[in-house]
Amino acid sequence: MLRRLSVVVLILFACHPSARRHETPPAHRIVSLLPSFTELLFAIGAGDRIVGRTQWCDYPQAALEIPSVGDGMPPNIEAVMARRPDLVVLYNAGPNVTAAKQLERAGIQTVLIDLNRLENLGPAARTLGRLTGRQEQAESLAIVLDSLAGRPPPPSTTSLAFIVWDNPPIVIGHGSYLDQLATQAGARNVFGDIAAPSAQVSLETIVARDPQWIAVLADSAVPPAFAKRREWRAVRAVREGHFLLLPGSLFGRPGPRSGEAIAQLRARLAR
Amino acid sequence: MRWTLLALVAVLALLLSVVLGPAAVPLSELLRSDIVWNLRAPRALLAFLVGGSLGVAGAGLQALVRNPLADPFLLGLSGGAGLGAVLAIALHLPGPWALPIAAFLGALAALGLVYRLGLIGGASLDPRILLLGGVAIGAFTAAITTAIVSLADAAELRNAFLWLWGGLSGASWDSVLIVALYAPIPLAVLFAASRPLDLLALGEESAGYLGADVDAVKRRVYLAASLLTAAAVAVSGVIGFVGLVVPHIARLTWGHRHRSLLPAAFLGGGALLAFADTLARTVVAPRELPVGVVTALIGVPVFALLLKRWTIA
Repeated sequence: MLRRLSVVVLILFACHPSARRHETPPAHRIVSLLPSFTELLFAIGAGDRIVGRTQWCDYPQAALEIPSVGDGMPPNIEAVMARRPDLVVLYNAGPNVTAAKQLERAGIQTVLIDLNRLENLGPAARTLGRLTGRQEQAESLAIVLDSLAGRPPPPSTTSLAFIVWDNPPIVIGHGSYLDQLATQAGARNVFGDIAAPSAQVSLETIVARDPQWIAVLADSAVPPAFAKRREWRAVRAVREGHFLLLPGSLFGRPGPRSGEAIAQLRARLAR
Repeated sequence: MRWTLLALVAVLALLLSVVLGPAAVPLSELLRSDIVWNLRAPRALLAFLVGGSLGVAGAGLQALVRNPLADPFLLGLSGGAGLGAVLAIALHLPGPWALPIAAFLGALAALGLVYRLGLIGGASLDPRILLLGGVAIGAFTAAITTAIVSLADAAELRNAFLWLWGGLSGASWDSVLIVALYAPIPLAVLFAASRPLDLLALGEESAGYLGADVDAVKRRVYLAASLLTAAAVAVSGVIGFVGLVVPHIARLTWGHRHRSLLPAAFLGGGALLAFADTLARTVVAPRELPVGVVTALIGVPVFALLLKRWTIA
């Protein structure tokens, strides 16, 4: 405890705002608080500078060697500071804004980055490139990611519904990254008319919209438990066992592997 | 006249919930539609049974604890059910019925604890201790639930809260059958206690002089009402206001005689929940509102109106 306290005090003095505001040197000790950021940092060649990650950051393999600072939602400020970072990268959302302010007050540089959709990927890569002094690598990655987001989607040959939760049924709407993933893979999200990222719907709406596939983010190969419930048997894709079980690490987050996720989803839809 | 009207309202609520829905089903195909038979009809019936059970349980508990604020969920059952559901998810219990069963067992455990607390003073259930014990057990289980949610795999467990406030999405003929077989027993116990419940309103001592076995009645009513609520929470999560508001509305129209009050609370609660669920499914279609939101939005203004009439009169 005492040691941690003295570390905090040291940081407070060492990173006094006036000392670092003028010209921010490239960050060397980064805490990344979102799996997507960890992947992006590795992709632009700054992975060796990450000194803290969330427990969810499981890609690439090398990320697992980095100490975890917890689940990151909301960030455990003490655990983050104990890694003595000079840059903390946070996902831009409510509780993280407060956490970023706390860290800034302690003299640690923070950056809040939007990462909800494909089109956020390019700008996110560029921001991280600028902060780590790896602009060139970031730029070439960003160009690839931008083209992914800007690509006109192929004509849809099939349809799906993403089921986030079964009781009450929560589905993915147009505002979500997963909706983009499906569209780019040539599948129409039957709930693409709902503007929100996710929404509660009635089971009968799913029956009426009759998706060809039920997509579920799952790391197991077994269909979800609700597949056996009688009310869900009213959905044709459930009756026919048309489940797409998508591992969350690849499909559940926008990142440098989004192109790979789209290609894999397309291949599985074609099967 | 009042009964005819109430029966009409109940039938209308049931009909509406079968005819109306977010998916367009033409009237001519109503009887042949898969959506109507496998989804709407069981959901309407489940809503009616759950709403009715909560109405009766609320009326019974309000008479038992002689407190107009008593609600079937006030006595710690929702906390117990929530803890059960969260444990089922955290421990990855398999099977399509793991969650409802765990929630039911959680509610039963809370019920047992509160009951034991209520008996602390001796063989007679103390209504005040029941209320305080219910609130305390509710807070305790909620604290454990929150601890589990914040320590374990968070994203998955937040869904447990969705489930707990989930409403009637899980309705199927299976769940209708279970409730239709289960609910009549505690309902019959409560209906049979109509007369002693009337006497209880005069105070426990007077009720005893007038021939009621006060201790036994209190135990029976508490257990029956709680068992009804535990089943309701297992199939439909926590649905607020039905058990609080419906008994009061029924009392304002039917008076304090439980022989008519309890059936009225059953029909009224059933109609209210069936109607509320129809609104929940249709007003923001294709999206759906949590049904508890709708029961509160309908129930509370009606309640306020009746209260006004009541206090003026």
